[in-house]
Amino acid sequence: MRFHMQKYDYYLVIATTVILFTIGVVCVYGITYYNYLAVNPQWTRTVQYSQYIDGMNSYLYPFLVLLLISIGLCIPKRLFEQDILVKFSALVMGITLILTFLYGIETGLGFILAVMIGVQCLVLMHTFRKSKAIRYEKEGDAGRIGSSLLHLGLVILVFNFISLRDNPFHISIFWGGMILITAGNIFSFYPDMINRLLFRQSRS
Amino acid sequence: MGFAEYTAAREYLGIIGQPVITYILIVSLLQGFFSILYLLKKEKYYDYLMKCLYINTGLYILGFIFLAWFHIQIYNTVLIEYPDFLRQMIPVGSSRFTVPLWIESEKLYFWAMMSMIFVLTVRRRKDLVSLLGIILSVFSALVYFFSNPFKEPLPALHNEISRWYAALAAGDESIFQIAGTLYGRITFYYNSTYMWTHPPMLFIAYASLIITAAACVYMLVRRDTLYDGIAYRYAKIGYILLTTGMLIGYPWAVEAWKDSAWWWDPKISGSIMMWVLYSAYLHAHIYVGKEKMWNVSAYLGILCFTSLIFTYLLTYIVPGIHSVVQP
Repeated sequence: MRFHMQKYDYYLVIATTVILFTIGVVCVYGITYYNYLAVNPQWTRTVQYSQYIDGMNSYLYPFLVLLLISIGLCIPKRLFEQDILVKFSALVMGITLILTFLYGIETGLGFILAVMIGVQCLVLMHTFRKSKAIRYEKEGDAGRIGSSLLHLGLVILVFNFISLRDNPFHISIFWGGMILITAGNIFSFYPDMINRLLFRQSRS
Repeated sequence: MGFAEYTAAREYLGIIGQPVITYILIVSLLQGFFSILYLLKKEKYYDYLMKCLYINTGLYILGFIFLAWFHIQIYNTVLIEYPDFLRQMIPVGSSRFTVPLWIESEKLYFWAMMSMIFVLTVRRRKDLVSLLGIILSVFSALVYFFSNPFKEPLPALHNEISRWYAALAAGDESIFQIAGTLYGRITFYYNSTYMWTHPPMLFIAYASLIITAAACVYMLVRRDTLYDGIAYRYAKIGYILLTTGMLIGYPWAVEAWKDSAWWWDPKISGSIMMWVLYSAYLHAHIYVGKEKMWNVSAYLGILCFTSLIFTYLLTYIVPGIHSVVQP
């Protein structure tokens, strides 16, 4: 079972790497196309600019959905067994697709992100309580908390960009997400140091 | 205190700074020479290489202190006092410049200085230091010839200050436009808190990521996982600073460019590309022990650094709101 899970994890990591790489390719396309359009210095004041923004968003969103699925599979795997995980993911994806067809991709993305925020909050809560209900590849409190904070920060930030752009708390939420990501990075990359500094000290 | 004192300080910076950067160039060329000799299996030259690196780092820091002095002089000598008739347009009576130390020609200098400091932290890996010695020697030559901060200090800022004093003396209507532009530049650019956090974090990240790239090259050449460990160690530092530094740029853009078209600007697209590639590198690294994955990881590390250079150069080659070139 553990071997099976590790193989699943490995393919998930490869898939995420490929998706991230493809988003990079979309950005290169954006740079090239912008440069091509910028022959006219006033082009950002024309309808061409909004078409360009819409075009770039439409190229990015499918890969963002794929990225969210790969992260989405990564987050609840800590909570659920694999068969439940597959059913849970299928259900979320199904609702996302229905919402996308009915109300557009931003609503679909907003839904999947909101679910992920909820799941990740649950994971974080369990991690802090050192619950046995969640599984981690990593050993140690700092690494686990770091991973949870990082994933939570990331989904909050993307949710904020997609669904809360005009919200009065947009920037405040952004800062919250950024702090979570930065703390998550530090905790994940330097778990030994954080364990030494925070957790052992608090125990002694 | 006024324009005359400011121009005197600017000239004096050239007088004291130009010899420093000339010495940096000379020592850098020697450093590159000793690095090549070491790589040609001449062990005894490593000590000379290290001495060059220490001297060069010291010189860079000395030059940086001179730049800091000049920036303090700008703050002390240049006081922009807006005449009363501009009060309806500009909400403050006067402004001073708190100019950060990484703008215009100073940014490449800052990046090079930070790279020198980072290289000293890997001094035990002689072969890697030698490769970095060559890279930094080329880097210093680029700084000297294309981004010398002492040759003509802060030309754009100098132009803005000169235009302000000229318009003030002329007393014509051009002062309305010049004052409006200058107030915006001081508030949202020169004196912005973001300017003191966003660029330096990115340049320190870039400095750290140079070591990652060099270690990835060695990883492919030597097929030794030791280099992967070094690459990963510096990628972690770089990634934390890169992520936080880039994110800090977002609220700044919202505030400073609220009426401008900046979404999917080439520099923004380039930065996202660079960040996702580094994320991909770190993700792939989770399974670096698996067959062939170290290979993928090393190639990705080099690709990431290529994207970093490309993103940096975008400011100078592709028009956009974040660029110095216009169509």
